[in-house]
Amino acid sequence: MSSLSLSEKEAIILENDSDPQRILNMLIAIQYASEEGYIDEETAKLVADRLHLSQARVYEILSFYAILKTEPQARYVLKICNSTPCLFTGGDRLAELLEMILEVPEGQPTPDGLFMYHSIPCIGACDQGPVIKIKDTVFGKLTEAKVYQLIDDLQSGRYQEL
Amino acid sequence: MIKRNQQVLLARINKMKQATDVEEYQKYNGFSGLLKAIDMDKETILDELDLAQLRGRGGAAFPLGKKWRHLYGAKGETKYIVCNADEGEPGTFKDKALLEHDPLSVIEGMVIAGYLFSAKAGYIYMRGEYRRIQKVFQEALDNAEKAGFLGENILGIKGFNYKITIISGAGAYVCGENSALLNSIEGKTGRPRVKPPHLADVGLYLQPTLVNNVESFAGIPVILREGGQAFLDLGTKDGGGTKLICLSGHIKNRGLYEVNLGTPLQEILYSEEYGGGSSTGHPLKFIHFGGQSGPIGAVQNLDACIYSYKGLWDKDLSVGSGAIVVMDDQVSVVDYLVQVAAFFAHESCGKCTPCRLGTTRILELLKKFNTQTAVTGDLERLEKMLMHVTNLSACGLGQSVANPMKSGLAYFPEEFEAGIRETAVSVKGGLW
Ligand code: SF4
Ligand code: FES
Repeated sequence: MSSLSLSEKEAIILENDSDPQRILNMLIAIQYASEEGYIDEETAKLVADRLHLSQARVYEILSFYAILKTEPQARYVLKICNSTPCLFTGGDRLAELLEMILEVPEGQPTPDGLFMYHSIPCIGACDQGPVIKIKDTVFGKLTEAKVYQLIDDLQSGRYQEL
Repeated sequence: MIKRNQQVLLARINKMKQATDVEEYQKYNGFSGLLKAIDMDKETILDELDLAQLRGRGGAAFPLGKKWRHLYGAKGETKYIVCNADEGEPGTFKDKALLEHDPLSVIEGMVIAGYLFSAKAGYIYMRGEYRRIQKVFQEALDNAEKAGFLGENILGIKGFNYKITIISGAGAYVCGENSALLNSIEGKTGRPRVKPPHLADVGLYLQPTLVNNVESFAGIPVILREGGQAFLDLGTKDGGGTKLICLSGHIKNRGLYEVNLGTPLQEILYSEEYGGGSSTGHPLKFIHFGGQSGPIGAVQNLDACIYSYKGLWDKDLSVGSGAIVVMDDQVSVVDYLVQVAAFFAHESCGKCTPCRLGTTRILELLKKFNTQTAVTGDLERLEKMLMHVTNLSACGLGQSVANPMKSGLAYFPEEFEAGIRETAVSVKGGLW
């Protein structure tokens, strides 16, 4: 049920030379390109097949690495850095704030499927804390007002590319 | 040519308009280290590296010259060169700057290694969070190949064939551990291997393998270009060169800086050129050095501290990755350590019991101190647990969990004692 067509997925695999060493490159690229933001069974099977790996091997990888998901994600997954440099410069308030704005607990999508938020460790933007990351984009030096603005902007479709 | 107090690793970053452009890179001394290397005797290259005293910038601080010499002497059909770009140490964002804004310097260092060890394949394992930078780096690789610095018969030298492949990480802190990283490159789950054997003898696909950090590789061209002695002179005699440091937390000028090893810590914290002092108006209280696995120092004990390998070791601290996380006096050390412990409990790969369960027990115990529900004996339990996890864990992750905890305990024992409810009935005996 992935939003990517078979040929789009195959193109990503070929771009990586169908090289089992680059299985993570492929899985991440496919996941980020798909709207639901996860690797479904069909895709896992396809990757296993093209790389001549067992499906069990692919699932072992999917479950080991935190970035890879096996469940559909919300349209915008807001990742909050919870490592100490960010946490102690205001990051501790982000989860609470998002819960207030979005009215769902951490890790649960909003009823419209638009938002979800959860904590992750350091993303290498520690000098900009507190931060939220959506896909490859980091929103840093957040304040309460900026978080409200960000949600508004996302809702009104300002960040289509994300 | 290069003097103290001038940028070395970051020199090009602010000048270059197009970070992946080979011609522009060459305009700023790029590839001159490699060009020198290919005219040198291989033994002489190793001598220069020894002289330079570059210590591994990933955190372990092992002399790079020794590591390279070991690999040079290792026997195997083929040797692999691997760059560890899985920077995931909280408080650290230095490799990111090099990868994104001066990728060719990292490539040049890796090509020099390829030349020295007659390697055919190099890998750079870059964290999944840096996906956008992976694209920049690929562009730099493609440009370098077009210009004849990678690929077949590099620089016209017959048989000098060498390629570099980018492998993406996918969000596992433990993959920063070198053997876990190699497993991950082989397309497996990134769990550490039991060592020995040493990776220089039995590494990637069981062949001799060199694994170095991004910043270490970026330093190699500088050493060959300027000479080992000049590099050593940039730092101190226990460690040459400059160091990229990352200031974060309650410090006014958060960010990435390059300092000479040997710079006074006070200057780093308070001078306007660097940290600029507290960002909150509250006095600074403690500093977490080198990442989550590094030790913690109390600011009041660090008046005369010199930021160098020995300068920090003398205070039971360490340079580690170069992270300098500063906290003001509003932060309780126990509160801080709970978060550090949560990080380790989350990132333990689960392969060995002492680390898997130990990190969880440490987290639980610290939470008790933090909520004032600890009982008499818990302090001893915590200390014992820290010792067990350090001594019984298989890899560096488990072995270093105790560093921040023990140093926090040593400097601020009263904060732990305040977490003990004296009136509570002591738990009989030890649980462990
Ligand atoms: S010490 Fe921890 S992280 Fe290292 S192998 Fe054991 S369980 Fe995994
Ligand atoms: S600690 Fe938050 S990005 Fe590094």
